[in-house]
Amino acid sequence: MDKTRKFLLKRQAVFTSILAVILAFLVVGVLLLFSGRNPVEAFGYFIRGAFGDLFNFSNTMSRVVPLLIAAIAFIIGAKSSVFNVGIEGQLLLGALASAVVGWAFKLPKAIHLPLTLLAGTLAGGLYALIPAWLKVYRKVNEILSTIMLNYPAFFFNHYVVLNVTPLEGVIPATPFIQETAKFSTLIAGTRLHAGVIVAGLVVVFAYFLLQKTSLGYEMRAVGLNREAARFHGIPVEKRMMFSFFLSGCLAGLAGAVEMAGVHYRYLDQFSPGYGYDSITVAMVGLLNPFGAIFSATLFGALKTGILDMAVYTEIPRQLVTLINGIVVLFISAKSVIQDKFRQIVTGKKQISLQEEIE
Amino acid sequence: MELSFLDIIKNVFSLSLGYATIRICISIVFAAMGEMITERSGVLNLGTEGIMLMGAFSGAVGAHFTGSPWIGLLIAGVVGMLIGLIFAFVAITVKSDQAIAGLAVYLLGVGLSGYLLQIFFKHGGNTPRVETLPIIHFKFLENIPVMNALFNDQSVLMIPALLLPVILYIVFYRTPWGTWLRAAGENPKALAVVGKNPIVIRYVAVLAGSLLAGIGGAYLSISQTSLFSERMVNGRGFIALSAVIFGNVKPGGVFAAAMFFSFMDALQYVLQTVIPDQYFPREVFMALPYIITLLILAGFIKQSKGPADITNPYEKESR
Repeated sequence: MDKTRKFLLKRQAVFTSILAVILAFLVVGVLLLFSGRNPVEAFGYFIRGAFGDLFNFSNTMSRVVPLLIAAIAFIIGAKSSVFNVGIEGQLLLGALASAVVGWAFKLPKAIHLPLTLLAGTLAGGLYALIPAWLKVYRKVNEILSTIMLNYPAFFFNHYVVLNVTPLEGVIPATPFIQETAKFSTLIAGTRLHAGVIVAGLVVVFAYFLLQKTSLGYEMRAVGLNREAARFHGIPVEKRMMFSFFLSGCLAGLAGAVEMAGVHYRYLDQFSPGYGYDSITVAMVGLLNPFGAIFSATLFGALKTGILDMAVYTEIPRQLVTLINGIVVLFISAKSVIQDKFRQIVTGKKQISLQEEIE
Repeated sequence: MELSFLDIIKNVFSLSLGYATIRICISIVFAAMGEMITERSGVLNLGTEGIMLMGAFSGAVGAHFTGSPWIGLLIAGVVGMLIGLIFAFVAITVKSDQAIAGLAVYLLGVGLSGYLLQIFFKHGGNTPRVETLPIIHFKFLENIPVMNALFNDQSVLMIPALLLPVILYIVFYRTPWGTWLRAAGENPKALAVVGKNPIVIRYVAVLAGSLLAGIGGAYLSISQTSLFSERMVNGRGFIALSAVIFGNVKPGGVFAAAMFFSFMDALQYVLQTVIPDQYFPREVFMALPYIITLLILAGFIKQSKGPADITNPYEKESR
């Protein structure tokens, strides 16, 4: 076998993921054609909207931040076979908690900003303990429970915004947070804020936790084979509870970063579904914290690009959710793509175990 | 206006609460019965909500362009089965993780119905008003007080919704099809030994389930209301899934569970109108059905026993 083939086979998971995304986009292109829209023109607007100038680029980057943190939240859970689909609800609660702390206290920045972020983080984590307990001790499927728990979170926030915190103006929102609770802007005149650094730290933290600590090793062991993990004396229930809690914490942090860096107050519908997108981002990134950087950039660009595109063309913004669905479908069917990929690379129908190891 | 506690109780527990329960349950019963068939065959379809959304959307679109809600209903069923076919291919043939495939179908349903809504009707978050399915009125019920208030002047889809559990009970336990279906979910290898193909049976079960979910969704847009609005299914698909778990994947149990959840939803609506907002926040009532559903799942799941082979892909030759 020559070098390229070896390289392609060694990295087959990465190429499969890329192929799945490309296939999904081809399907989306066909759908655009069928609904009478020009996919090439759409693509042009999309690229321009996402990366066209410094402002658009900074816009994309500011969307990558919550997507990346939320994707890491999903990854932390998924590594111990906890499918936290409730990131959206945890993110909303985290955002509200940090908006309230950021507004209600008057403290020096060195204390206020971390406190604001911590409030959001804890709110998300505590809310995630409900489905965690339901899954671990009552055997309730967490996909079901977390999706349902997204509704009460939204209603709760809606109530707080309308009835508890004072309303300034006509839009249902909390008051603006103090200057001391805000992230600094990194490039003047753009939306790029210091939350990017937080996102970077979260990626590094997740990598070290999962790969370099015994706690992370045990969490992954629970994800790979629960019974074997139990046999080796790992407290399976505790580890699952912990990874669910940590997942919720990061989801809450993603919401908090949005408050401190972009919106400066809790608006009822500030999140364009970051929680749901994060699942796609995590899966396309192969549940790898560094892989998530690439996929979060792709989907961050998708979000700004399509919103920009929706202004200039007759292509609705709902395309984003549709793309998510199709991408997840292809990712979930990736074993077929991987088989085809291997056949094409090696030119054989069957691949022996020996070759696979090489 | 001052309300005494007794007045509130009287206003809440009236016959109109029963009427509302039946009205709400139709959609959930269709979806839950469909999911029950699917799960009995050994496949878990978490994408019910997405299929219902596509059913609701295509039902309204069909009714709008043809002027006939019946054609809308037909289209909703077909579209439901098409989405089900995609799910079945990924879950059964590709043998991918059923939970993730279901999640994909959910996202696909939300995205596709929202996208096509904008493509077809440019502005706003909903379709124009459409013709609705007929309301049925039984003359003979007029003289029976409670029955009259509960069952008269409901949608025509109430009849199949109430008959479905009975029909499915007979199919499940009194026909060979039911035996094959249950065997596909309990022990597909044994089924293969007697010459039946578990894959075919699972495909049929997923398609039947998706058909019912599509109809359950269409009921919302062409009968309970008269238009489709974005995300209008609003978690009913997940409540239907919970009803299947709570009802032990058995026709009678699932029907009872669906009725119970519908009752909670009806109660929440009535409470919102009866108790003024200044006494009690309406958001609490709106969150109530989800919270109660979860509480019940937490309390009852331990006794619940689904099919033995659920979510396991069927492999022809054992390794």
